[in-house]
Amino acid sequence: MKQNSLDNKSGNKQAAELAAKRANVPAALQQKANDFLNSSPVNTKALKQMVNLLENPDSNAVGIMYVLEVIFRNLLKRKLISTAENKKCKGNAQAKPQEPNATCQIQYNKAWSVLLANLGNTSKEEAGGALKVCMQLIAAEAKHSSSNAWPVTRLRSILEALINAEATPTAALAEFAKFTRCLDVLQFTYQLLPGLAPKSFVDTPNLAFNYLAIINVLDLGKTVLNDKQFHIGPESTFDYERTRQLLNKVWSGVIASCNGVDEKVHRQVLVVLLERILPHLKDPILLTDFLMDSLHQFDGPIALLALQGIFTLMQKQNITYPDVYQKLYNMFYPRMFYNKYKARLFYLADIFLTSTHLPENLVAAFAKRLARLALKSPTEDAIIMIRFICNLLLRHTGLQRLICATGAASGAEIVDPYDETELDPVKAGALQSSLWELVLLQKHAVPEVANAAKFINKSLPMVEFDLSSLLEIKECNIFDDEVKKEVKQFTMAYERPTNFALPQYDIVTKYWDIL
Amino acid sequence: MGVKAKKSNADAVYSKKSGKTSNPFDTAISQTSKRLNPFDVHVNKEKFKILGRICKHDRGLPGVSRAKALKKRAETIGKQYEVKHKTNKFRDHRIGKHLTGEQLTESVMNARYLAEKLSQVRASNKAQKFNLNDDELLTHRGQTLEEIEKYRDERSDDEELEDEGLDAEFTSAAHFGGGADATQDRQTAIEEMISEQKRRKNEIAKDKDEVHDLTEKLDANYKDLLSLVAKATKDEQIAKPPPDDYDKLLKEMIFEPRGSVTDKLIKPEDLAKQEAARLEQLENERLRRMKADDEQPETTVQPHRSADDLDDGYFATGVEDDADDTLAYDLDGNLGTHLNSKKENPKEQSNDKSEDGSDDEGDEEDDDEEEEGSDSDSESEADNLSDLKATDSEPDSDSEEAPQPKKTKSKSQKQKVSETIETSIPYTIKMPKTYEDFTELLAKYTPAQQVIVVERIIKCNHPKLEGVNREDVVKLFGFLLHYIKDMFEDASELDIGSHFKLVSQLMPHLHDLVHLNIDRMSNTLLDVIKEKYAEFRKNHKIYPTLDTLIYFKIVSNLYSTSDFRHPLATPTYIFMQHMLSRARVRTRQDIAMGLFVVTIALEFGSRSKRLLPAIFNFLQGIVHMAIPKRQQERVEIAPPFEQDGPFSKLLAIPVTSDTKALQPQKLQPADLVTQTIDVDFKVRALDSTLCLLKQIFDEQMGEHTGACYLAAPFLPLIEQLPMNLYPEHVQQHCAEAKSTLKSVAEQKMKPLAPPDKKPKALRLLEPRFEMVYDDKRRPKMSKQKEERAKLLHKIKREKKGAIREIRRDTAFVQDLRLKQQIQSDNERREKVKRIYQEASVQQGELNELARAKKRKKF
Repeated sequence: MKQNSLDNKSGNKQAAELAAKRANVPAALQQKANDFLNSSPVNTKALKQMVNLLENPDSNAVGIMYVLEVIFRNLLKRKLISTAENKKCKGNAQAKPQEPNATCQIQYNKAWSVLLANLGNTSKEEAGGALKVCMQLIAAEAKHSSSNAWPVTRLRSILEALINAEATPTAALAEFAKFTRCLDVLQFTYQLLPGLAPKSFVDTPNLAFNYLAIINVLDLGKTVLNDKQFHIGPESTFDYERTRQLLNKVWSGVIASCNGVDEKVHRQVLVVLLERILPHLKDPILLTDFLMDSLHQFDGPIALLALQGIFTLMQKQNITYPDVYQKLYNMFYPRMFYNKYKARLFYLADIFLTSTHLPENLVAAFAKRLARLALKSPTEDAIIMIRFICNLLLRHTGLQRLICATGAASGAEIVDPYDETELDPVKAGALQSSLWELVLLQKHAVPEVANAAKFINKSLPMVEFDLSSLLEIKECNIFDDEVKKEVKQFTMAYERPTNFALPQYDIVTKYWDIL
Repeated sequence: MGVKAKKSNADAVYSKKSGKTSNPFDTAISQTSKRLNPFDVHVNKEKFKILGRICKHDRGLPGVSRAKALKKRAETIGKQYEVKHKTNKFRDHRIGKHLTGEQLTESVMNARYLAEKLSQVRASNKAQKFNLNDDELLTHRGQTLEEIEKYRDERSDDEELEDEGLDAEFTSAAHFGGGADATQDRQTAIEEMISEQKRRKNEIAKDKDEVHDLTEKLDANYKDLLSLVAKATKDEQIAKPPPDDYDKLLKEMIFEPRGSVTDKLIKPEDLAKQEAARLEQLENERLRRMKADDEQPETTVQPHRSADDLDDGYFATGVEDDADDTLAYDLDGNLGTHLNSKKENPKEQSNDKSEDGSDDEGDEEDDDEEEEGSDSDSESEADNLSDLKATDSEPDSDSEEAPQPKKTKSKSQKQKVSETIETSIPYTIKMPKTYEDFTELLAKYTPAQQVIVVERIIKCNHPKLEGVNREDVVKLFGFLLHYIKDMFEDASELDIGSHFKLVSQLMPHLHDLVHLNIDRMSNTLLDVIKEKYAEFRKNHKIYPTLDTLIYFKIVSNLYSTSDFRHPLATPTYIFMQHMLSRARVRTRQDIAMGLFVVTIALEFGSRSKRLLPAIFNFLQGIVHMAIPKRQQERVEIAPPFEQDGPFSKLLAIPVTSDTKALQPQKLQPADLVTQTIDVDFKVRALDSTLCLLKQIFDEQMGEHTGACYLAAPFLPLIEQLPMNLYPEHVQQHCAEAKSTLKSVAEQKMKPLAPPDKKPKALRLLEPRFEMVYDDKRRPKMSKQKEERAKLLHKIKREKKGAIREIRRDTAFVQDLRLKQQIQSDNERREKVKRIYQEASVQQGELNELARAKKRKKF
């Protein structure tokens, strides 16, 4: 029953896709294709013409691709083209009702090569379209081949094309990611990957990067496993254990060759490790060395990613790493706002500082540091950090002396005892300080920040703020929110300017020789 | 003090004493006066004391009240009972009957009148009882009042009253005469006196009649005379001698306006109309003069102008010198003919001058507009006032007029010949339909004139003149913004200065324009900024085009940027922050733009003293770039600045360069469009940055708690600057900035403590009143029913009272009857007794007689 409904669904989907394709295909081409398909002896000339069209596309390459897909599927159905698998066992002389047409075969292979070349295309539509057509053809081949075997060679050729692309084939990869949600594709890809690994990650960073990018789209997560989608037929089998073995094999290949790779690849390795590999590794403890090296030898994003890996190990494998807080503390510096993984940093810091058993002066140092950074950070980060500080104060009630000093101390004026340059958070002397930064932040020009910083004047909220929603906000979102506000009261200046300068408090013309 | 108080107290006592009557027993109550006998008082006991209830029945005087009731009954029912079966009635007409004439006072008369009236009312039937307009005639001495009015003499009667008696001469002669007339006997004297008196009376009567007749006659002829009177007065006026100078002056002084009330009374619509009419009028005059120019003598000399001349009404087109070389000429030409045109002439001429090249287009336009207002010459007199007012309402033009250089005189004379064929800006300009038209229109004029063109478009298309203009002004604002964009988007080094000047002069007009429809135009500006931000967002590593910064400046100039949240200022703030924190700084243009944005952001916060963190980072970056670094040397700095490499020392000046001679200089507009960095710029940028730092921390940030966090990072950077390479003024500014930063960085702060919380007030326990009182004994009723029940209750009580009264009345009557009965019985018994007595006496006598007879017989 379920299968049926799935089929129905896919049928509907296909119909929708077809409609979309039709819309893309120009009428003349459609006509041509129809004529070709209707003629009983195959018009090889017309086929050749069309494949040539694909080869040097002047316009609408996507349309041509879709037309060829229809044609070849038809031909496969008529068994005019032998599938790759069949060809191998042709020697076994399985009698066929109709011999495949040689010219058709040639054209088919030619079309394949052109499609594969198209995968590296930068245009999103063409690359994506090419990949979609390739996968559809694979499905058709599997369906119409006598042995019902999976056309692994075709998949291999696709993967090869993806790996060998000069620039990262982001569009094709995005499309490929959709297909990797099908378990059979997933398994076969993992099966093929070890053989496809680039010889050396150091010499060919591009290939390595592409290779890692492919691994990055292979999601072995629970949702995918539970979905049980298959690209080809319900009879395909999937074995998690086997796939996991394959994954481990792939990873060991990667780790073996990633000595001394450049930063970009290293980062990608870490991302792949964290996102895709780590949960399925047999022996994650072996990673400790790799992660520690990454943490200590690099700065910025790599160290951050490594720290996340170590955090996972600490959680799952129970390793101990005493300096982790110091490391984390030193990751907070002004440059990190310009870092790609800053959301990850906030997320990690939030998790690390969840424990209520941490020493107060350590957490106070974090709070102080965040407050300092909020004075230099872009708007959205300032909001996150202010909220984060508020959360810290809620978790560690002892820290509230940072905003409400005890009576005896509140009298004297002091210079901030907190030492910003101290590397060890415990020694920074933050607990004797106060969060004056937040008072200054109340004067922030952006009202959101100023409002957020006002929490120190009121009683603290009962529940912690949810940071995860804030992590997604970008600077432009704040602008958009501001602009979208419905009530608009454009208050005007009450003084009429007589020239470029303001009548009062003029600054621009004081420094510019404009008037 | 004490003494005085004592004294005043004593006074009070004394005065009180003196005020009292001497007899101390005056106030004493006599023994026999109303004094309650305690046995007469009946006290009604109250079971419960109820607050708020006024009790009238707590004590009663049963004896007294019974006596009162009895007395009342005796007077009413008793009387009726007495006359019960009687047909005749006694009537008393005697109100004041026994009073003499003097004693008949008003009150008595009123009482009589009232009695009469009452008797009438009683007599008449009920229908007439309430008739208000009964025609009762009031009389006075037998005459109705109307009649008296009719025959009253209108003339005052006091003249009649004058000396009725004898005149003083006669009396003095008669009474104290002395011996001369004593011989005459008294009889003749008296007769003489009487005759004399009669004669005098006759004379007076005659005179009076004469006067009366004359008055009558005069009254009759009054109408005829009236016209004559009017004529006479007019003639008199004409005959008046013509006023001399003194009179005129006096009158002028008397009628000089003492306040400008008229300004307030004129509605804005009218003002706009007047303004438009004025412009049209000026346009017509200009056209007329243009034709007449050939006939005017041109060799006149400019009259002397005193140094104190206020230059009222003169109009300079701008700050540029070439626009000012005007004046004089038209003032002479038209001085004799049209006084009121004097004011506007120079304005026009100034426009004429600076427009040599564009004759043709101007001509065409002039022709178009000639027809529009050719017949408004006659209004020139009426226009005087509006002119005056209009010049008042142009403070900007006035202020710009002041610097009128005298040196332009000769130049202007040279140009006079060509002026005759010059054209000028028309006074009425139609609103261009499209942006292309607008640019075409502006292209005809020099930048200075463009401002006037814009101003006139605004004035001619004031929304108060016509409803359509409401859209037009919004469109115009859009055009202006677009025009600014076109000017600045690809401005070059050469024209940027003039573009800035133009925008500078447009500012007041933009201000006025926005005020015409604040919402619409602000939204337009906001849309522009949104669009710019969307462009910037696509690649936030590159500074946006220069026009964006100009829009920022417009926002800064026109809007109140100090608001906490402002629909325009806040997005602009965010935009600036984004720009300063992300865009890469690599060229002179980038640095200059960044500094420009910094200054604008400071303007935004100049009143509100709010901070934009990116400013500080940017200024740090500038200082950082000015530090010369050796290879591989790194100084910490946050992005968008680079820590090392060539871009980290853009502003560092080489040791060899000679900068000592450089003069202090502001940043130049050209910096905003130039890419290459020269030594001049390096020094300039650093100098400005240092000055800015000083100003920020002195004026804006210094007072904030935590300002030290902003100031502290600058100090190590400034320390590293090679100051000996820079000119004097930079060194001085650096020292100043450093000292300011140091003082701020060493700021001491009080540890944070939340404000003391107010003690929470105890909960007050007040009685809780319930509005709904649920009395179970009585079912709740609707309002109508309740009312009815109340009324029924009242009726019941009233009935009870009435029954009681009736019972008492009957009792009283029965009592009366009984008394009567007893009395009559007693009378009867007396009578019977007497009769018996008499009879027995008679019998006795009879018996006596009979016995006597018997005895006789015997």
